[in-house]
Amino acid sequence: MAAHVTDQQLRQIRSILLEGWACTGCDVRGPGFSEDCDWFSIRCGNELRKRILLKSLSPQISAVKNNVKKKRTVICPFSSQTSAMFSELQKCPRNVLVCERSSFMNEKSRHDKHVSQHYFNYKVSVFIPHCGVPPSSLSDAMRRFTRFYLVREVPVFELLGEECLEKTVRTGRFYALSYKTRIDQDDVVALLPTGQLILSVVKDTYEQLGLEGRPSQYAHKRPMRYVVVIDLTDKSMAPGSKRYDRVLWALREKVPLKTDFLMACHSVVGTEAWSLPPCLSRYPWKELQASVDTQTLRDLPCPVLHGDDLRGETACEPHAFLEWLGAVGLGIGCENEATSFLSTYECPEPRTLVDQAVLCTVTGLLLPEDIHSLLEELRRYFDQPKSSSWLSLVVHGFADSPISWGMAEHGFHKGGENFYSFVLFKNQDYWLHMGTGANDGCPP
Amino acid sequence: MAAFADLCISGTNDKKRLQSIIETAAHLGYSTVAINHLVEVQPKKQEIGKPKCVSELFDHFPIVQGRSRPIRVLNRLTLVVSDTSHFRQTADFKFYDIIAIYPKTEKVFHAACMSCDVDIICIAATEKQPFHFKRPPVFGAIERGVFFEISYAAAIKDSTMRRYTISNAISLMETCKGKNVIVSSGAEKPLELRGPYDIANLGLLFGLSEGDAKAAVSANCRAALLHGETRKTALGIIRTVKKSQPADEREDKEAPPSKKAKLDAM
Repeated sequence: MAAHVTDQQLRQIRSILLEGWACTGCDVRGPGFSEDCDWFSIRCGNELRKRILLKSLSPQISAVKNNVKKKRTVICPFSSQTSAMFSELQKCPRNVLVCERSSFMNEKSRHDKHVSQHYFNYKVSVFIPHCGVPPSSLSDAMRRFTRFYLVREVPVFELLGEECLEKTVRTGRFYALSYKTRIDQDDVVALLPTGQLILSVVKDTYEQLGLEGRPSQYAHKRPMRYVVVIDLTDKSMAPGSKRYDRVLWALREKVPLKTDFLMACHSVVGTEAWSLPPCLSRYPWKELQASVDTQTLRDLPCPVLHGDDLRGETACEPHAFLEWLGAVGLGIGCENEATSFLSTYECPEPRTLVDQAVLCTVTGLLLPEDIHSLLEELRRYFDQPKSSSWLSLVVHGFADSPISWGMAEHGFHKGGENFYSFVLFKNQDYWLHMGTGANDGCPP
Repeated sequence: MAAFADLCISGTNDKKRLQSIIETAAHLGYSTVAINHLVEVQPKKQEIGKPKCVSELFDHFPIVQGRSRPIRVLNRLTLVVSDTSHFRQTADFKFYDIIAIYPKTEKVFHAACMSCDVDIICIAATEKQPFHFKRPPVFGAIERGVFFEISYAAAIKDSTMRRYTISNAISLMETCKGKNVIVSSGAEKPLELRGPYDIANLGLLFGLSEGDAKAAVSANCRAALLHGETRKTALGIIRTVKKSQPADEREDKEAPPSKKAKLDAM
């Protein structure tokens, strides 16, 4: 118990807090620091090096602690022997994997909430071992994905027009994301079905725009990115009000933001499909269908999974399983031959050799509602007796989306992954792995 | 973070090679590149010369990969200086967007950090640094907003130069603690360019932190460009642009000018 903290320790703690390491002393899953967290542990590998009582720290550190952003518990691999310079080399950019195990029959299962809150998905891949041809219901479900539109050079203020709001935001099922804009270099615009317009803009744009926003959570020393969130369904944003006029003025005259958009609106079953309203269709647009690709893989080593062993004590560990699944999805060989220098990926033990497996991939702007119906379809796969004991569904989010789950801010450091993966078992149990990268909040 | 920039591409007279380097840079994801014109400063007065106009290179600049804007190409001047008295600001400087200096001796380095009107100070990549970096000039440069540049093309070509680049970079980091550093290519061929995220990883080898290394290719480059732009302005606030009066405006003024002037004033 260290009651007195030296300068060097203070610097170490500050760098740990600001680089995004969370407290391992409070064992709370979720926000990194809770108010009743008393201890801060510095671990090296698995060894507990030091435990410092937070209350005894100077007010500076308490202030830093209050500002620390939501980060996940990680083990920090820095060792006090190496010099400060090379301690950076031992760290990798942080990534977070949240694993959950539940059953679809359980009424408290939050699988539909996780699916519906992940708004912008670009790729869904389904892997079914011991299956030669995908079932027709699955192929139909994939072909029924909502059509989306690519509209070029849309000024953002058009989305605020009364007529446009009526046909898009007020349906409650409209999704729009700016296309060909990078989240770490450009201005990104997203419109959520909840009616929130998110403008993730660079410093120059923000300073000229004149709208109120907050600096990005993933700023390094000086904030270079700001996030402006405008709730279009709010009473204060009713057309004609002062705030509405100000936002319109900012987007029309101050900085006429113009980007290409990917847009889609989920239509309720039974009604006619949604089409672009006239305020948007006057710009060059194209209607696109999500592209489906099906492959049958032969003689594939496949890990053996047991439904109740999520952590991988007897079977493979979640990281190893997901790595293998990613390798299969990308077509990377996992034989690990001695003569091959291209890939040393290996299928985790225990494994079996599967004579055939199906891999279906859908790419495009995929709506959570469609993914939900695909998930329901996959649950029905096990209604008939099948030789496979599990199948997996992996959903990747856009790397350049401004949000990952809900309103959690998403950034791109060296990778912008925000994906979730369902592994469905015969008895309607499922595993849910949610993974994010460095500049990202903890998945729910 | 800001858009990625590579502020040193060796300028050659070979137009095709320059075009292919710029196309490769756009394909890799750089939004801004600067063509370097290297000049050895002579003791006698010498003409530095105007750079070639950038718009002659391409009719349509290549689009940056993953974005919808074309790549932006700028001109940069690097002066190789071995004596403080040789550095003189001439009228030709205003044609270049960035001015860089490559100091060969300690005195020049000190002068460059503290007083010279430059944007970038280059760190030797092909030879062992002849002098050590001392804290006062380095911190003086950081306060003035001058950036230190490390170029990595030499490191790709030869293993001895790789050692020099890394050791010079590490000795710089020990002094400046990762502030005000940019990493650029100095590429002479398209194959010597590397992607911005790879260079951010290379920065880790130089001793930069994760955030600093990514900033070295993005935010710091943007700041260096802005520093160069302020050289053309008054105190960085006021900028004058020459406005040419169109010919038809002069023809319209046939009515008595005094009456028209009163109406305009109201």
